[in-house]
Amino acid sequence: MNEEQQLIGEMARRMLDDHCGPEVVDRAEQGDYPAALWTLLADNGLTTLGIEEALGGAGGTFGDALVVLREAGRKAAPLPLAETLLAGQVLSLLGQKLPEGPMAFGQGAVTLDDEGQLKGAVHGVKFARHCKTLLVAAKRGDAWVICQIAAESVGLTEGKDLAGEARDDLDVLVQVQPEACFAIDEAGLDAVLVWGAAMRSVMMAGALEEALAATVGYALERKQFGKAIAKFQAIQQQLAIFATHVAASTRAAETLMVQGEVASIDVAIAKARIGEAAGICAEIAHQVHGAIGYTRDHRLNHLTRRLWAWRDAFGHEAYWQERLGRAMLADEAGDLWQQVTALG
Amino acid sequence: MFQGMNFAPAQLPAELESLRAEVREFLNAETDWQPNSDFNAGASPEFSRRFAAKGWIGMTWPKAYGGGGRSFLERYVVTEELLAAGAPVGCHWIADRQSGPLLLKFGTEAQKQQFLPGIIAGESFYSIGMSEPDTGSDLASIRTSAVQVPGGWCLNGSKIWTSNAHLNHFMVTLVRTAPATENRHEGMSQFIVPIDADGVTVRGIDNLAGEQDFNQIFFDDVFIADDQVVGAPGNGWAQVMSELAYERSGPERFLSAFRVLAEFGKSLQNGATESQARLYGQLVAHLVVLRRMSISIASLLEAGLMPDTEAALIKDLGNSYERLVPEVVRLYLPGQVPKGLAQALEECVLHAPSFTLRGGTREILRGMIARGLGLR
Ligand SMILES: Cc1cc2nc3c(=O)[nH]c(=O)nc-3n(C[C@H](O)[C@H](O)[C@H](O)COP(=O)(O)OP(=O)(O)OC[C@H]3O[C@@H](n4cnc5c(N)ncnc54)[C@H](O)[C@@H]3O)c2cc1C
Repeated sequence: MNEEQQLIGEMARRMLDDHCGPEVVDRAEQGDYPAALWTLLADNGLTTLGIEEALGGAGGTFGDALVVLREAGRKAAPLPLAETLLAGQVLSLLGQKLPEGPMAFGQGAVTLDDEGQLKGAVHGVKFARHCKTLLVAAKRGDAWVICQIAAESVGLTEGKDLAGEARDDLDVLVQVQPEACFAIDEAGLDAVLVWGAAMRSVMMAGALEEALAATVGYALERKQFGKAIAKFQAIQQQLAIFATHVAASTRAAETLMVQGEVASIDVAIAKARIGEAAGICAEIAHQVHGAIGYTRDHRLNHLTRRLWAWRDAFGHEAYWQERLGRAMLADEAGDLWQQVTALG
Repeated sequence: MFQGMNFAPAQLPAELESLRAEVREFLNAETDWQPNSDFNAGASPEFSRRFAAKGWIGMTWPKAYGGGGRSFLERYVVTEELLAAGAPVGCHWIADRQSGPLLLKFGTEAQKQQFLPGIIAGESFYSIGMSEPDTGSDLASIRTSAVQVPGGWCLNGSKIWTSNAHLNHFMVTLVRTAPATENRHEGMSQFIVPIDADGVTVRGIDNLAGEQDFNQIFFDDVFIADDQVVGAPGNGWAQVMSELAYERSGPERFLSAFRVLAEFGKSLQNGATESQARLYGQLVAHLVVLRRMSISIASLLEAGLMPDTEAALIKDLGNSYERLVPEVVRLYLPGQVPKGLAQALEECVLHAPSFTLRGGTREILRGMIARGLGLR
């Protein structure tokens, strides 16, 4: 990571350390949304990173935004940060200015008719209830459009994901102006999936690093049979396996961060690899923590429940494995080794 | 975060691609061997001499000794190309990776003059003599020992699992030269033992695949002149430890099963089922990340650091991957299995048990990682 990214990461980490402790995460799950933390991040430009200033963004690269998201993953920040950064990327792709406030993107069974009526349902939009603006992908005839609408204009059924984070269903029936509808092609929609997968990948990498630190710390603290469980070789070997997967995840995530604009093939590699690590590591983290880790009160679940949710979001590992496999096989020009070395 | 987890992104410089192309051209013109990407599976003195003629053995060593004076990253490119092509590297591998660098670091001027040119020319090949019948993971427990005699040492004992000793000329041998004290790591030394010396007997051992790969060596009053001791007598343990990062972090620790994956990919060119494409993608994702981690370590080595724990970590992750590949590819073969794939798979299944033993077992590596985590 370059020097600027180091600084951005440190800044984000400091803010989250100070204002996003386990109690904040717990309270958010009870419905107490940390609005002040959002404002702090927004005021410091972290919610519009990677979007050019001319469009109302804070500048920097997409990779810079990923640096912040890893920190958010580490602290299980219960905020629509990835959602807003993703929606920002979509608007930037469409050449549109950013509106104020949190945003989310949603895609479902929605149509836009010739009279400008947007109608349909979108399931599972993360943090929709906390957003001011929604970007809804809809079908206009055979083509895709993105409609920018006020969040308050949709009917909203509140729900939660595995991690207890807000995830709402939208019931859309709203009149939209032509100026708020933008054509997008399949490649554009695929870019949204790729960005989303990149974001979840780095968030998982952050959560994995934190889960390893927490689990090592616990193993050194917890005593059984007269000594710290860290002294049992069975525990040491499990934690070593944990560490190998965390190291690989961090490497895969940082590859995306240093790229600036991410390459979809590297996102496929990261989401497949880190998604696989998430399950293995969450299992070891819980095994080492014993029963205390299986409680709601213990903060381990802030991380592991997010890992389980995030590995399935924007394509689980099997999806990205197949996609990566097909991409490699489709390239007849190069043999495998040429492809691997060309990836760097 | 923890000690031993520094894998900061690093890239091979773009200007190395012309070197890569040169190596590929050389390998494409080679015809007289069957590819196998396990570095221990093929050994050909003729190949090693042709390879040496290109200036690629000892390529990082100082020009004063006939070396290439090139960077560690350049060597990385050359070695990974060799493995990916499945070249029979067994004869020169250890000398180039370990014995030469050891002599450069700890050897006398006379030793460098005497031994390095032969290695660089692809004329002298080296073995590692560490394991013994009663000494495996617990290396400090060696019993092969030497007592001082006029002008040198008298060596007795036995080493085992010595790869390619039947083809090689020298063996860098770890020997007890003083009785064990409280500190078990004291009193060991490294000798350069000519394998054809008086009193040395080599007995071949067939490996599980039925190949003569390793050997047992017996030392019966072998005279070792003082000028065949590497470094100061008693410094052997520290010297052996200083080789570990080089020994463990290279591409040979995750490419042993590469032919299986490459042949699997070729067999799917005309269509892959969902499960086949998925498995292929999964194994490619692992491979790319492993390679990137290994390049990160190569950059640390190039910068003069000694990332021992990172090396243990990548070796454990890479070896587990090498063992996974044949286990899963066999379940998703195409209806008509091409001959190249069938052969690569069979060879890999038979060699796989060695991947997580040689160069430090999985359990020992995980112990090192655990130490990096502060658990022990
Ligand atoms: C193909 C091949 C080539 C080799 N080439 C060479 C060579 O050229 N030169 C050379 O010197 N050696 C060579 N070796 C030997 C290799 O270094 C040893 O096999 C290795 O160090 C392990 O020793 P061992 O086989 O005696 O197993 P042991 O050390 O007896 O171990 C047996 C099992 O016990 C486990 N174990 C041991 N100690 C511990 C512990 N403290 N905690 C937990 N588990 C433990 C091990 O992990 C392993 O699973 C080679 C081995 C192979 C397979």
